[in-house]
Amino acid sequence: MRLPDLMATGWTEVWAHKMCSFLSFFAIAIGIATFFYTLSILSQRYSRLGQTAKVAGAGRVETSTNHPLSLVQYQDLKARLPEGSSLALTTRNFNISNGRWWNTLYHRGNKLLGGGVRGILPSFKDADFVYRLEGRFINWKDVENKHRVVVMTVFPHEVKKAKKRFWWDDEEGVQLVKDYSAHHHLLQQQIELHHQTFTIVGILHLPTESDDVRLSRNREDRPMFYIPYTTWYDLYPEEKDTRQVDIRVVTGKESTAKAAGRSLASYLRSQFGVDEKPEIEFFQEKMEEHLTQARKSLNNMLFMGIIAMIAGGIGIMNVTMAVIFSRTKEIGIRRAIGASRKDILFQFVVEAMLLGLCGSVAGMILGYMAVLHLAEDTSQMTFSWWVVALSVLIALVTSFLFALYPAWQAAKLKPVDALKNE
Amino acid sequence: MVIAQCKKLIKVYPGAQDFRALDEVSLSIKEGEFVSIMGPSGCGKSTLLNILGLLDEPTGGEYILNGVPTQRLSDARRTELRRNEIGFIFQSFNLMPRLSVLENIALPMRYTNMPRADILPRARELAVRVGLEKKLHSTPLQLSGGQCQRVACARSLANKPSIILADEPTGNLDSKASAEILTLLKELNDGGMTIIMVTHDPKIAQGTHRIIHVKDGKIV
Repeated sequence: MRLPDLMATGWTEVWAHKMCSFLSFFAIAIGIATFFYTLSILSQRYSRLGQTAKVAGAGRVETSTNHPLSLVQYQDLKARLPEGSSLALTTRNFNISNGRWWNTLYHRGNKLLGGGVRGILPSFKDADFVYRLEGRFINWKDVENKHRVVVMTVFPHEVKKAKKRFWWDDEEGVQLVKDYSAHHHLLQQQIELHHQTFTIVGILHLPTESDDVRLSRNREDRPMFYIPYTTWYDLYPEEKDTRQVDIRVVTGKESTAKAAGRSLASYLRSQFGVDEKPEIEFFQEKMEEHLTQARKSLNNMLFMGIIAMIAGGIGIMNVTMAVIFSRTKEIGIRRAIGASRKDILFQFVVEAMLLGLCGSVAGMILGYMAVLHLAEDTSQMTFSWWVVALSVLIALVTSFLFALYPAWQAAKLKPVDALKNE
Repeated sequence: MVIAQCKKLIKVYPGAQDFRALDEVSLSIKEGEFVSIMGPSGCGKSTLLNILGLLDEPTGGEYILNGVPTQRLSDARRTELRRNEIGFIFQSFNLMPRLSVLENIALPMRYTNMPRADILPRARELAVRVGLEKKLHSTPLQLSGGQCQRVACARSLANKPSIILADEPTGNLDSKASAEILTLLKELNDGGMTIIMVTHDPKIAQGTHRIIHVKDGKIV
């Protein structure tokens, strides 16, 4: 029998045995739903990790020191790094509202609570720059001349309030800055940071939570006011806490990361003595940790998916057996009028695969609904064809494998015995 | 020309006490013959028919169909022979309840290499031949017994067999329908078709060329 005929026959029979077919279909649909759900989440996680690595920059090395580096030291260190490296120095963040430094941030006499201040260099832009910049960024002139300029971040207005992402999400400060920036054109306005007046030269529009592919530790967790690195030390020269500096090197090539790490460590030791024991972090290693984590959950989830598919397969097998039992006479008739063993085998296998196909479609719908309602962060979900293709393939292969044995049993029946069956 | 030849066919059903359903049955059927097989129930006539139709294998003896010795053939080869050389008509019609008359008649052709486009026209031709041109799209459940048996006759002709094996084709029919089926079979036989028919009914058997009586697994 040719495939179109087999499919037509299969479809007629599937339709004629609705209840049996439904059970079989249901079993496979549940299995596929599990698979689809896990695959969707995993595919999203992997693609996101890829984006994270891309925006983070290749050959990224990070460390921190309690000795603020001067601009001369900056140039000195940069010269020791591999050719073409980007070197960024960033002072530690201070909460404006921590009470010790500032209580309130004012703009035109309006109170803006919350937020933090960090001193940066123009090279800050070289990695993890996921913002949309309005106005201009801090430049070297600002750094050299200790300009009182600020580039501030603004959270997107579509941040969902219902889903609390940060503990301060419902804090007055974030909301105030957000609302305020929505209604006032802040660019070129004066703002007061610790009783000093600054000019807002740039606005960094943060992407929505789902579009922000940076690792969570590199994301802003509150409104940020980025000022020139040198200006920052000018404002807060004495406090010990203000001395800590984050150093970030991006060499552009993964192969030079280790060398950059060594140069960084030796330079810091040469400058600040043997007590300086910088902890060098290689971004690649961090990414690998994340990948390992993802792979681990992949294994767990795949295991669950496989269990679900086996259950679905057993369902298919059981139903196929029942169907064959109830259709023994039909098998006899078909054999008598010329069907070969192969024809009988294919007939039941094709029937099961048709059910598997329908089940996979229903399963994917179910799985997609699960993704929408159960996944932690649905906004990052993307629809990928390979997940669909793989789900269908898994359903077809499972129904094929599990229908094979009952179908083979059916094909093995002697025509005369099958015909006797009523 | 001999179309089917049996030499000392033996069929034993194994059990606590082996049952010899056929005991050295020898028989030869010539091309164009219309033969009826008669005998009480359990005499082995159905067993004989099943072996003639390659649905069952004998325990011993030889069966040569159309010049082909069948005893050592593979299942695939037996299926091929059955498909191309033998048409079956059963007492209980054995139609596919969910297929239309046309599809039922077409079914044997679906198992051949016949071009798909030729299948339905030929099925329609056969339906016309058995007088069912108005019932092409009905299902067997909508037909009378006589009509069902006519569908079965048409189906048995689908692959142009050399023999038609009819197992009590009139057993489930009233006398009028029985007569009609017999007439149809006779017409086919007049056209040159070899027919072997198992029957209980002496009146039906009288219309055939030759009557073979079977008793206790032997031809008498």
